[in-house]
Amino acid sequence: MRQNKRFSMEQKKARWGWTFVAPSLVFFLVFSFYPIFNAFYMSFFKKNLLSLKPPVFVGLGNYSYLFKSSLFWQSAANTAIFTVGAFVPLLVLSLVLAALIMSRRRFQKLIQMILYSPAALSSVVAALIWLLIFDPRGLANQGLNTLFRTSGVNYHWLSSTGMLRLSTIIVYVWKYVGYFTVVFVAGIGAIPHSLHEAALIDGADRWKDFWHITFPLLKPTTLLVSVMAMIQCLKTFSTQYLFSKAGAPTRPIDVITLNIYNTAIKDHNIGRASAMSILLFLVMLFLTWLQFRISKTEEVSYM
Amino acid sequence: MKRLSCLLVLALVISLSLGANAAKIIELTYWTHTDDNRTVIENRYIAEFEKMHPNVKVKRVVNEASKMGDLLLTAFSANNAPDIFNLQIELEYGYMMQNRVAPVNYSAIGYKNAEALKAEYLKGAFDAVTMDGKIYGLPLELTNWCIYINKKIFRSAGLDPEKDYPKTWEQMADISDKLVIRNGDIIVRRGFDFRYPYYLVSLLPMVEQLGGKLVSDDGKTAIVNDQAWLKVLKFMKEWGPHGRNLGSPTYPAPRKIWNKDNNDMAMCLSGFYQQGRLRIDNPAFFESNEWMVIPFPVFKDAVKDVACSYYGHYLMVNAQAPKERQEMAWKLIAFMLSHPMEYLEKVNIIQPRQDMLQSREFKSLPYMDVFMSDMDRAHSVFLHDNGYQFERYIKEAVEAVMLSKTTEQQALNTLRERIQEVLDSDF
Repeated sequence: MRQNKRFSMEQKKARWGWTFVAPSLVFFLVFSFYPIFNAFYMSFFKKNLLSLKPPVFVGLGNYSYLFKSSLFWQSAANTAIFTVGAFVPLLVLSLVLAALIMSRRRFQKLIQMILYSPAALSSVVAALIWLLIFDPRGLANQGLNTLFRTSGVNYHWLSSTGMLRLSTIIVYVWKYVGYFTVVFVAGIGAIPHSLHEAALIDGADRWKDFWHITFPLLKPTTLLVSVMAMIQCLKTFSTQYLFSKAGAPTRPIDVITLNIYNTAIKDHNIGRASAMSILLFLVMLFLTWLQFRISKTEEVSYM
Repeated sequence: MKRLSCLLVLALVISLSLGANAAKIIELTYWTHTDDNRTVIENRYIAEFEKMHPNVKVKRVVNEASKMGDLLLTAFSANNAPDIFNLQIELEYGYMMQNRVAPVNYSAIGYKNAEALKAEYLKGAFDAVTMDGKIYGLPLELTNWCIYINKKIFRSAGLDPEKDYPKTWEQMADISDKLVIRNGDIIVRRGFDFRYPYYLVSLLPMVEQLGGKLVSDDGKTAIVNDQAWLKVLKFMKEWGPHGRNLGSPTYPAPRKIWNKDNNDMAMCLSGFYQQGRLRIDNPAFFESNEWMVIPFPVFKDAVKDVACSYYGHYLMVNAQAPKERQEMAWKLIAFMLSHPMEYLEKVNIIQPRQDMLQSREFKSLPYMDVFMSDMDRAHSVFLHDNGYQFERYIKEAVEAVMLSKTTEQQALNTLRERIQEVLDSDF
């Protein structure tokens, strides 16, 4: 009897649960939680990455420097512009594409595969492809010149502030729209077919069916996609890094992550870079909480 | 049972003796950047060195040149760095300042002292790696840049390359204007274009020609001689798409396309090593006698005759490695560098050793006289603990005037403010 009490089915299940979860938990603690904690700790110190001297405690010095730094605020503005510019089209386009895919009877998987393929491509390769396209003699200028029936107009894809920002947004949306489309396709597929049938019987057309059945029931997926897309956008790095290395001006695309990289790796100032990482982390945390808070309604139920 | 115990003891003795032998083996790790020609000869030198020293094993690790700096910094900050490495001196300088590299062990490389070592090299070859009278690296290569010209493109624009080549920056702009071909705003052939990210090497000497400096001699004030800076920034603004539209950082790197000889690029700024790459990329053009090299131009009203700065890759030794490994590392470096002529012939890099520089073979190499006379009127690249940070800020200033509507004065004010902030901080 005591044996049963000690090893009830629930407890056994829980033990096996912990056993299976433990490796990923350890992985998370070592590779995610420890770096966050370490960055938080380092953000209170002045430390040259190359120096053998122990770090010097500066309290909130790194944070107060950042709040007064025009370069940091420029990076914050660049990140905000990029996030809004990429997040909205990512969310809308992936939802529209998913709805279009689900409305088709054939080639659903093939279209998903084609859309998803850029996400599987390395960021370096993607940036190199787009650098060729945005080259003054590349396809982007040729395309716009053909479209507007002009000749030899340089749209400065990689040099003027606005066009350069647009270029990075295009690359990002192109790379990740397929990924989020697949997530939306899964969400739409999970909605019971009987609900669509009932709507059709009640006289709803496809448009009404989408707005009154699909869209409201997709709320958890939309929330998931919006949180994931926003975090991804805030963390953007490789496109801006590779574009600036290829000759594009840094200032319009100096997002926070690029500033963190330059501060830590080029300037060796790991304390200040850590403080920036923590601020970025807090912004992401706050925006995620806000999104959950705004969309906090009853759970979606198909019953 | 006794037999089993004996066997166990025997196995233990054998493994201990093997372990003791293994402990005697010195394992050296050498990190360097990709260069296929150099890899071939250095692998051979390493094999020869291992034969000469049977207790030494060398692991040569090749990294992508663009990633080398980041990888090495990460390794050093994690206290897990290689025993030997090379980087461009602008990056190595920080390692020296932070005492992460060991001074040269003169006796290990067969010299009495620093003076004896210096005597065998070009004057000033060790200036960049000398701190408190000690030398911290041996030069793998010393490079300066001159202008490579495609004679065919000059002739196609009605110019005689032998006579009409640019001697001043003003002439460079005018000649580039004659050579450039555009389709509307889009340049399809450039006369000349700069090596944009390398502002400390090639743009700072232009400022110095006009009497300007990045930092005052006492190291306390940013931007010396505003007029010199403003003139250079104006020159760059005129060069860019909003001026005479002769080039821009967003077009492909000139030295990469110049070798193709496909009517894309008439002139480029590069080192002697360009000839080695040209020989591989386009042997017909290399042999054609249709190219030439000219000195780095100066401004018409220059107050100082300064050529493009020279920079080096120095082989350095990790100061945290045990003394025994450090000594062997210096021996290996000295052994590899005892073949300067082969480095020159096979890799096209110049090791500034007097015996080689004075040799007839060296002097007879194509346009070597141009490179060496430019070297004479140049100085080592600007070195500072925050050198890369400064270069990033200069990049922003140049890009701002070339690619946006920022005025030269605004760009200079921002540049001064940023560099001064770094100089004033105690980081």
